[in-house]
Amino acid sequence: MVNKKVSKKDIAKLLEQWGQQFIVFAPSRESGVAAFAEWDGKDTGFLDWYRNTVVPPKASFLPPMEEMFHFQKGEEGYSIEPSAGEENKRLLFGVRPCDARAMAIVDMTFKDAYEDPYYLSKRKNALLVGMGCTNPCESCFCTSMGVSPAESADVDLMFTDIGDEFLIEEVTDRGKELIAKTKGLKEMNKGDEAKAKQSKKTAYDRVTRKLDTEGIKDRLLASFDDQEYWEKVAAKCISCGICTLLCPTCYCFDINDELVKQEGTRFRSWDSCGFPLYSKMPMENPRQEKWRRVRQKVCHKYEFYPMTFNVIACTGCGRCIRLCPVNWDITRVIESVPNKTGVKK
Amino acid sequence: MTVANTRFFAQGNVYLPHIAVIEKIIEETPGVRTYHFNLKDEKLRKEFTFESGQFAQYSVLGTGEAPFCISSSPTRRDHLEFAVQKVGRVTNALHRLGVGAEIGFRGPYGSSFPLDFLKGKNLVFVGGGIGLAPLRSLIWNVIDNRDIYNKVDIVYGARTPADLCFKYDLEAWDKDKTVKMVTTVDREAEGWTGKVGVVPKILEEVAPSAKEAVAIVCGPPIMIRFTFPVLEKLGFKPEQMLTTLEKRMKCGIGKCGRCNIGNIYVCKDGPVFSYTQIKDFVSSEY
Repeated sequence: MVNKKVSKKDIAKLLEQWGQQFIVFAPSRESGVAAFAEWDGKDTGFLDWYRNTVVPPKASFLPPMEEMFHFQKGEEGYSIEPSAGEENKRLLFGVRPCDARAMAIVDMTFKDAYEDPYYLSKRKNALLVGMGCTNPCESCFCTSMGVSPAESADVDLMFTDIGDEFLIEEVTDRGKELIAKTKGLKEMNKGDEAKAKQSKKTAYDRVTRKLDTEGIKDRLLASFDDQEYWEKVAAKCISCGICTLLCPTCYCFDINDELVKQEGTRFRSWDSCGFPLYSKMPMENPRQEKWRRVRQKVCHKYEFYPMTFNVIACTGCGRCIRLCPVNWDITRVIESVPNKTGVKK
Repeated sequence: MTVANTRFFAQGNVYLPHIAVIEKIIEETPGVRTYHFNLKDEKLRKEFTFESGQFAQYSVLGTGEAPFCISSSPTRRDHLEFAVQKVGRVTNALHRLGVGAEIGFRGPYGSSFPLDFLKGKNLVFVGGGIGLAPLRSLIWNVIDNRDIYNKVDIVYGARTPADLCFKYDLEAWDKDKTVKMVTTVDREAEGWTGKVGVVPKILEEVAPSAKEAVAIVCGPPIMIRFTFPVLEKLGFKPEQMLTTLEKRMKCGIGKCGRCNIGNIYVCKDGPVFSYTQIKDFVSSEY
């Protein structure tokens, strides 16, 4: 439901107001790379430069490195103290629809069977404010993955660019409650809805890269043992892991201990199936060869996730294409999977 | 889909270990030890339950955590056991610990051997090396409830006589008239009077009948890979073959990603599998 709007020049005021209730995160280049960072209270320059962040918003819920608990050895033996959970409510402003969808996909794993307390405590406390794309990248293929660049059901509020203003769509009850308490918003005019519709259509049409995923799960299953194919696909990969580390639906992590004298910390950190150590056991490694690791990455997203959760774990954000140092291209790979299923396309 | 057992979470957090105390250490082979241990918290010690085949995550705090099956039987509960081969960082640290040392323990995790399915069946246990650890939990479980199962065959092997684990169990099962036990080593060795040959080959010689039978296989990946074809040759169908698998793990609960075989996580969907579940991927992913 769309019923409010806000001027672009009033975004700072709006975020300031929300900042009294939430810790506001917004796109920032402060660290040298575009990522969601705590809003500095004034800068809205991102409205001009922001297409999407390099670091996906998953980093706000599954940080690159995160303390899990502390332990200490005393006279009575070991004592264990969990790290303080994130109690502050956070608001992420400007999340793109592909990344919002990705969060919903990652949620499935962290909610499945055993709930992950670190991820879910942050996630449950956070409000996502989406912002539709107006200028998608050449590498984006969201529209082929069931995502619209300018619409989202995976956020609490959705902002649509209509020129000098944003229309605000209330997507969830939490979003609606926030808008009810927010001061200084304008009522939308009759013409605004038409402008928003046009803005969404323009964005949609600008996503020119297409990917046909029809029957991909079965095609991958049938080609799983086609070593020659996978070796060809993996040939130029340098196993840097960037396509997984910065993928908004990748969530793999490592767990390690750090010990200083008698006090220690257990922490987790991002890991990648692209790294040989990831699956290495002392006596053998089921994915020593690069082609096995590349196969794992592709199949996890397009075959195994659909088998388990009935959804492809890719939202077409295009990061793995934009950021790959050797121009490895997931869309080319998916298109080139041999069709051994016997089903004619 | 797995249903989480949240009963034994430490402080309500699945990643937090309980403290356990090592009570006894048995040198199984040069490089393999069995640890007898108990949970430090007395209430939890009484309440704690698990099933044969399940595993847990064991910590040497400051070094890290690694998964091992609970190798003792739930029918024998004055303590718990796990067996460790000294091969990596955590296992080396475990081998440096002595009686009285404290370790972290969280679990039990994963699937267990389907006792209802095994009821009344002829059971064929096929084990190699330290792979006997999860099998022995079930074997003692079966022996302690001997009436509800039919024949029991055990084919167990190791590279050399010195590498045979759980020799006290092997002796006990050898003496047990209700159990048919065959032990083998890979090559001839001085003083060795048992069979000679790798486990899959000896299994083929022993040729247990597939009729009303279930084979339960655990050992090094290469043994598992060569054992399935032998069982198929003997007439075992995929659903009559169970195995328990090992992979590098970190979380133990289906999150961290690395222990998958195809769409299946060894930690969450396993470690106990029927061959039906894994046959599409096992040839190239295990």
